[in-house]
Amino acid sequence: MTADSLRQYLQLLETRGDLHRISEPVSWNLEASAVTMLANTEDAGIPLFESVDGARLVGDPYRGRQRRPWDRIALGLGLPPDLSAEEYYEAVIERLNDPREPTTVPTADAPCKDVVATGDEVDLLEFPWPYIHAGDGGRYSNLHTLVAPDPDSEWVDWSYHRSMIHDGETASVLLLAGEQTPNLYYYKYEQRDEPMPVAIAVGAEPAVQATSVMWIPTGRDEAEYAGGLKGEPIELVECETNDLRVPATAELVVEGEIVPNERRDEGPFGDYFGYVHGPRRSMPLLRITGITHQRDPIIPFCVEGTGVGYSENSTSSMEVGCVGPDATLGLRTAGFDVERCAPWKSTPRTVYTIATPTDDDGALHELANFIFTTWGMLHVDFFIFVDADVDPLDQRQVLEALALHADPDEDFHQFGVETMPKVPLNIYQTPTEKGDVQTGTSKAKTAKAYIDATSDEDGAGDGDGGDIEFEYRAQQILESAGVDPEKLPFVDPGVSER
Amino acid sequence: MTTLDDHLETLRGTDDLVSIDERVHWDGMAASIATEAARHNCPAVLFENTPGEVRFASGVFGGPDQFASLDRRPWRRIAQSLEFGPDCSYEAVIERLSRSRASTAALEADGEPAATALADTDLYGLGLPTADDGSPLVELGIAIATRDGDTSWAPIRGIERRSTRLRLAVPSAFADWCGERTDASVALGVGAAPLVAAFQGWTQDRTVPDVPGLATGIADVPLGTVDSRVVPSEANVLIDGRLTADGTGDDPSDRTAAWELSCETTTVDVSVDRVATREDPVVAFAPFEGPLTDDLHLASLVEAAQLFRRVNGYWGVSPVEWIRLPVEARLGLCIVSSEILYAGFEWQLANTLFSFSDLFDKVLVLDENADPANLARSIDDMWVKAHPGNDWIFSEPNAPSAATPTYRRNGETGSRLYINATWDPHWDEEYIAPQVTFETSFSDSVKDALEERWEALGLDDLIGPKRDD
Repeated sequence: MTADSLRQYLQLLETRGDLHRISEPVSWNLEASAVTMLANTEDAGIPLFESVDGARLVGDPYRGRQRRPWDRIALGLGLPPDLSAEEYYEAVIERLNDPREPTTVPTADAPCKDVVATGDEVDLLEFPWPYIHAGDGGRYSNLHTLVAPDPDSEWVDWSYHRSMIHDGETASVLLLAGEQTPNLYYYKYEQRDEPMPVAIAVGAEPAVQATSVMWIPTGRDEAEYAGGLKGEPIELVECETNDLRVPATAELVVEGEIVPNERRDEGPFGDYFGYVHGPRRSMPLLRITGITHQRDPIIPFCVEGTGVGYSENSTSSMEVGCVGPDATLGLRTAGFDVERCAPWKSTPRTVYTIATPTDDDGALHELANFIFTTWGMLHVDFFIFVDADVDPLDQRQVLEALALHADPDEDFHQFGVETMPKVPLNIYQTPTEKGDVQTGTSKAKTAKAYIDATSDEDGAGDGDGGDIEFEYRAQQILESAGVDPEKLPFVDPGVSER
Repeated sequence: MTTLDDHLETLRGTDDLVSIDERVHWDGMAASIATEAARHNCPAVLFENTPGEVRFASGVFGGPDQFASLDRRPWRRIAQSLEFGPDCSYEAVIERLSRSRASTAALEADGEPAATALADTDLYGLGLPTADDGSPLVELGIAIATRDGDTSWAPIRGIERRSTRLRLAVPSAFADWCGERTDASVALGVGAAPLVAAFQGWTQDRTVPDVPGLATGIADVPLGTVDSRVVPSEANVLIDGRLTADGTGDDPSDRTAAWELSCETTTVDVSVDRVATREDPVVAFAPFEGPLTDDLHLASLVEAAQLFRRVNGYWGVSPVEWIRLPVEARLGLCIVSSEILYAGFEWQLANTLFSFSDLFDKVLVLDENADPANLARSIDDMWVKAHPGNDWIFSEPNAPSAATPTYRRNGETGSRLYINATWDPHWDEEYIAPQVTFETSFSDSVKDALEERWEALGLDDLIGPKRDD
């Protein structure tokens, strides 16, 4: 079954023995994140903190297992639990190809309206926003859906820009120009000196959270894609203090406006690539106008920086389980011959691998150019192209392709050295190079690169192109001998082709 | 003692060996199983039910892909076979191998080989594992010959050709050392020490014919003699005969073992007079050219140890912490962790490594505190610490081609690449981003409180015992 809400998803996790309830009081001040970091590192279950200053926290609820980062997202979307990565990608793509229009429910039927606070009643500090790493600039909401409208059309963008809490009524929002919602703010609302109405849906249902991290084309209704992922319409409800609609089963909704030409401190923060980047910078100010929530709300958070190396967190697993299939679909839709596009598993966002049947130099350049100028513009520094029979999620296969097939003379292509934009959330630029500019991107430009690690000769892969019947029989014999069948892919030559 | 039989028992005792009891009789089937086992990070495999005299074992010197899990140690099986201990760190393995010298003590080779001659068994009777084309494979063994009373051992790759002849690829330098014809033996089913020593003796920057001395310098290797040749006395199979190195034979197969990338090879024939085996013999073999094979692991450690010795013995100081040629990259990438002595040292270091090894044309330079057992973080740093424009440094396109990559195999010159993923020594300390770790992310008071409340929070169930338990 597809989960209708975060709490239903957590129940599914519990049924599977994947949820760990902690009823003892736990502090939002580093303690909850310390437990979560250990759970992430040890590939353990998902911790639900049931007593945190009158509310509940759940640490990295979408973190997948290290061997199968997509598996808990699959659970939330009601997909079979034993799908291979390839099957999972195709299943998600199939759902994204079948969007469903959302429905609007009355306020009385919306769980997120159990408690409503507006005007003077608003107090962000009623809730236990976690302080995640010692050295962070403040407490954060960082696993949510930011809902923001285009002032010139009906389009509403969903995204997940993190927010640093400042006091009971304000927060700063990390908006980096180049992405959709930040562009709406910087180049429409702020230029017109208008506030941007927003809502932050905290603890939305899994299909909504998954859609928030995807790059849905401008003008397309993100709620429809979430409905596609869910397999049924998403229920939305109107906000109390603006005209936006938000997922009705969200745990908590923060309504407000991001005001023009006002900034507040944001960061530093232990970020997705495993380092604490600095320095503190100025980001747009969110002023809160209303808060609605379910009773006893559950606030999810992500311990960023732990989804690197061998461990997973919500960000890294959603990168594999949501962004990868979405990017694959996007590239196919744009006419590129792509088998699969997947992130480098141990460091989300910076590197993507694309398995493709083409090794035509022009086609690869065009593909890289397309990505670097669209969704890969800010965060992604590298693309690696590999043969179609290389599994882009298998780091060994990709590293081998890079080592054996990528000729330093011909196959490393640097795009626009010192001419390309970059987010300041990196550690290879100095604070001066990053600067503190109005629109968030680094002051100094950078370069990006793609690597052609496709082979120039037939059958020159990593040896994975052998006789499939022999391989299948060999794996059967190994299983009979006692090898853990989870180690073996068992591509049945009778029912599947590679 | 470091015999193959002991090693198999150790692997079995640590649940790192599975036995296949069903008959594996098709040509290439055992090799397919070995390939699949290596590719999918399975335990070593012992084939119990074979068509001939010997049983086969694969993956005994192999190991898993380290990307799959932090607790995996690809070098562990070799370290165990060398009796370095199951928990021997990577640095310790490399450091010990880099120090190996031919033992100065006189070799004690007065024992009798354990293998005894089989009266009516020719090579076919051994029933060695076969390639797809049915050729019986002669691998993960050593060729043994003498010159002027000194014995040497060399790595081999070959096949049986008829019932009394072997065709082997051996290092050209070894064939030259042997002369055109000489009495020789081939030992199969040996531990890691003779193989490592043979690689060190004949495939590296300097030739050391005293390979038995190297082997006994690495580990306790019992020695015996056949005629006047010093042999590893616990070898499971000893094949004696006459080696002919006239350079006229075709290559024994279309495959290449990893050690062949480091040296020139030639083809020799061995006409066989005698085949001896131990009781219930077992031989190791590797499906060359698949991922994660035994020969890759052996060559990786030997090459890394050589480079470690050379770069740390060159400048009067020893700045390099460790060097890895990850088997995951099939020796096509060299990772080095080093103190950066001064601005530009990373350039000097990378290019020194290019000078000392022909295997790779890509070097990744990491800071001195990088963990050699954490391959994922090492490669992550390549992506996130190195500036994509300024820190990926390409040489001018006149460098010799490397041996491992699939491109420029016609010897055409080209560029080399090193990636500098170290902190810029010009940077102020405050510019350097701290890693997100449990140790750095939480104050002592938070960590102490967690320790105290471990049971109350049920963390035994969630995470396991406390770290200090």
